[in-house]
Amino acid sequence: MNEVCDSEAPVLDAPALARLAGLMRARDTLAASFEATRHRLARRHGAASLEPWAQGVLALVEVNAGASALLAFWRASLELSGRLSPAALGETGLAAAALCREAGGQAACAALDGFVAIAPRLAGEGERAAFWRALLALAQAAPDCVESVATQAHRLVLPGHVADFEGFIAAGLKAAGRDSARRRAFFALEDTLALALLARIGAGPGFAELESELSRVLAALWGTAPPLQPLPPAASEAPRRVNIAGPVLRLPEVFPGVEGEGARHLYRAAALHAGAHLHFGNPRFPVRKFRPVQIALAGLIEDARIEALAMARYPGLRRLWGRYHIATPDDGPTLACLLARLARGLFDPGYADPDALVGKAQALFAAARDRLDDPAISLDIGTRLANDIGQRRLRFDARGHVVEPAYRDDGLGLWDFSDIDPEVSDEVQLLVEAARIERREGEDGPPDVAPSRAPAGRARERAAGETVPVIATYPEWDAQAGIERPDWTSVRALAPAPVDSRPLQRALERAGPARARIARLVKAAKIGRAVRLKRQPDGHELDLDAVIEAAIARRAGDVPNLNVFRSTALTQRDLAVLVLIDMSQSTRAKLASGASVLDVEKLAVAMLGEALAALGDAFALLAFASNGRDDVRLCEVKGFAEPYDAAALARLAGLSSGLSTRLGAGLRHAGAEIARVRAFRKLILVLTDGEPSDIDTPAPDLLQDARRVVLQLRAQGIDTSGITLDPAGVGAAPAIFGKANAMPVRRVEDLPLRLSELYFRLARR
Amino acid sequence: MPSATSPAAFPSRVPDLSAYRIAVEPYYRPVGDEIAVFEAAWRHRLPVMLKGPTGCGKTRFVEHMAWRLGRPLITVAAHEDMTAADLAGRFLLSPEGTVWHDGPLTQAVRHGALCYLDEIVEARQDTTVVIHPLTDARRILPLEKRNEQVAAHDDFQLVISYNPGYQSAVKDLKESTKQRFIAIAFDYPAPELEAEIVRREAGADAALARILVAIAACSRNLRGQGLDEGASTRMLIHAGRLAAGGVSLEAAVEAAIVLPITDDADVRRALGAAIAACLP
Repeated sequence: MNEVCDSEAPVLDAPALARLAGLMRARDTLAASFEATRHRLARRHGAASLEPWAQGVLALVEVNAGASALLAFWRASLELSGRLSPAALGETGLAAAALCREAGGQAACAALDGFVAIAPRLAGEGERAAFWRALLALAQAAPDCVESVATQAHRLVLPGHVADFEGFIAAGLKAAGRDSARRRAFFALEDTLALALLARIGAGPGFAELESELSRVLAALWGTAPPLQPLPPAASEAPRRVNIAGPVLRLPEVFPGVEGEGARHLYRAAALHAGAHLHFGNPRFPVRKFRPVQIALAGLIEDARIEALAMARYPGLRRLWGRYHIATPDDGPTLACLLARLARGLFDPGYADPDALVGKAQALFAAARDRLDDPAISLDIGTRLANDIGQRRLRFDARGHVVEPAYRDDGLGLWDFSDIDPEVSDEVQLLVEAARIERREGEDGPPDVAPSRAPAGRARERAAGETVPVIATYPEWDAQAGIERPDWTSVRALAPAPVDSRPLQRALERAGPARARIARLVKAAKIGRAVRLKRQPDGHELDLDAVIEAAIARRAGDVPNLNVFRSTALTQRDLAVLVLIDMSQSTRAKLASGASVLDVEKLAVAMLGEALAALGDAFALLAFASNGRDDVRLCEVKGFAEPYDAAALARLAGLSSGLSTRLGAGLRHAGAEIARVRAFRKLILVLTDGEPSDIDTPAPDLLQDARRVVLQLRAQGIDTSGITLDPAGVGAAPAIFGKANAMPVRRVEDLPLRLSELYFRLARR
Repeated sequence: MPSATSPAAFPSRVPDLSAYRIAVEPYYRPVGDEIAVFEAAWRHRLPVMLKGPTGCGKTRFVEHMAWRLGRPLITVAAHEDMTAADLAGRFLLSPEGTVWHDGPLTQAVRHGALCYLDEIVEARQDTTVVIHPLTDARRILPLEKRNEQVAAHDDFQLVISYNPGYQSAVKDLKESTKQRFIAIAFDYPAPELEAEIVRREAGADAALARILVAIAACSRNLRGQGLDEGASTRMLIHAGRLAAGGVSLEAAVEAAIVLPITDDADVRRALGAAIAACLP
């Protein structure tokens, strides 16, 4: 049979193979290798089935892939011949040829080598095609990056996560845009975003998904929830551990290699362990003359101490943590493995280890059982064990030390490094750095600490440079002259500048109690009030007053009124509301919390928006600022017809402070907008931080003008209410909105709740 | 004013309040000086307001006090559509014409019972003003439909309950109502006490009761972070009864605490994790 398949195969049955054989004969460097490959494939699959494979080779030859690519393909064919059929191998060749056409032979060669490494992780034709499709897409957009991606394929493609590979490439192309240097850095995995995405491949759910749940579990068990923050991704592949920074818990964005319930479980275990540190913790131990091995062991004992206390209170935690204590003597002879067993021995008193050190630690820890409240036992026992380790000349690798098991924190939060003895400082520094690899940028403050990272006033500056179209002109009342000047102000549409709305969303999450209160208001308002209808022609009970009157009428010989029933009906809400947000320069003022007034306004509007969306009331959000009468800028965050979704929230988050407050013009425009909406009641809520002002008109005139607009709107059946931030209690608001419709807020932090309360009060009228 | 019956016809039908008397001592474990305060208020017939979260023992306390003082107890659960007539009484039709029928409040006022208005905030605000003349020096109940003023029996006392957790801009007692009452604050008892109550009421053993109380403490920590209220003592007793009746502890806690308390999957998961930590 082997003979049959040789070079004299009938041309008609296998044209590609025959052509290939002819071509190869002419190239003596390749001929031998080709023949060998063909021979071995034929032995495995049968000569007759090699035609598709030959087509793949031919395709590579036709695109001039070069000798190295052909050899790579043959290598791959042999390597994968047990796994893939000649047809599948042929597909691979065709895909490599297509790639070669875009990115060159070297890229194709690297891709084939990469494919050999990851092929076992790809299930079926679909996933293999997806891999090549992703590479081809990359080759078309950035041919120079194919090679570096292909050589990293083993890190980027994990079993069952080919889609993540495709996503990674798409994200890289999008993130770098036209910046080819950035693109190269990204695909060489030297970019922070690339590392973050790499960490997410095949992992999850991660910190972002679990944050709120972890925060709740911590609150439930330990009474208070410490602030949680993500740790920035690491460049090295060293495992990450939780870090306790003062009262803040910093968790890895993902635990690589764990997914699904496993990840959830690990995060829970890690968060509760760190929470126990905060709950049962100590004033931090001064480092002084401690050597790294002492620090590591004292930390290990401290972990065991707080866990013992926690488990005494919550016995179920033993189950939670126990599954990670799986170290056995078979793991290896290194000190790291011994430390893991030590941790296991202290966690589980029933664990018996052949190493005497574990037994000694267990005995010391058991002897201290009555003094578990005292953190000093950790230093004491840790030091004694460290001395034993020193005497046995076991080397402690300070640079490579990683706390085990994975759920425990890096231990550095226990120590006060301020009064470190110079004698040991270098060694200890190694330990600290081992735990802190690439964490430097996080030290300056993780991205979510600053409430808004959008450059202040960005939208405004851009707008100033361009000519912004005038969308409407409005009259203005000149109080001094006593006349209304027509077409006096021009309103221009300011394009919203959406930004990442996550900081705003986090602020929303933090405002839990106020939000819950508003949710209750929503629930109450949603039900609608029951209205009792008397003297109805039908209903579910008798209206006794009417019945008696009817009986009297009948006896008196009158015609009785037969409407003798009572029923109830729910009031229908038919309400449109427009929220007008002041974003003038004064809203940039910072509060004690670090947030600006505008940030609080945004939070307030976001909370109200949530409530309104839940209620189904029609509403619009409009922000305004002005720069003289010809340039009153209005930014539509949400129109009446638009849904209140993530995009609207991003637009809201993108508002920035600047310029002045020409309230009258803003109100006129708001009035014109809401007048177009069909609703039984129309309401404008103005959110401002002071009295109107602008560069070209005295403030009292603008106040008069605003008052006049409010009255005009009321005549049209549009109610206007002002909620003003007025910490000093000056109170211009009643002069504009009238006493009943002005709500001054003395504490800016109260604004979110007040705004929603005001709304519900007004909506009930 | 239509009034088909003469007031004189009324006293012939003195209703029998014995159905409202409490014969057996209802179990109540005092937490502070609430019994002393209530008895002092009773001596002067001052109206009492019981404030506290749901399921912490307000109703049980009133029953216990009614038993202790030997008075009948008439309980009215207030609801959104409760009218003044539902409390005071109304005319009903009979073959002879219309007949006046005392409402529960009027019965208590006439015959000297404790009247307990549960969750008074739920009632419409115009309803709550009916009790105003009863709760000041006048101690009368005007029945304008009958054109009658019922002077309160010497033994009549009014008790209301009020859950500040529901307090909101929409539902709140009027200032003028609030200020008429002696208030007694209730909260969930301290852990050991609560465990004792759960053990006693659910027929559970001490270890089980302690676990349930620990779970309740976790859920109460979540108040305002996804839960409106934590698990009440009543819920613990229910869970304890299920567990003592042979249901596995996990299933009992799930059925009696987790599922009723929240519909939010995230909160449920967090609560589930906290409960797993409490279970041995």
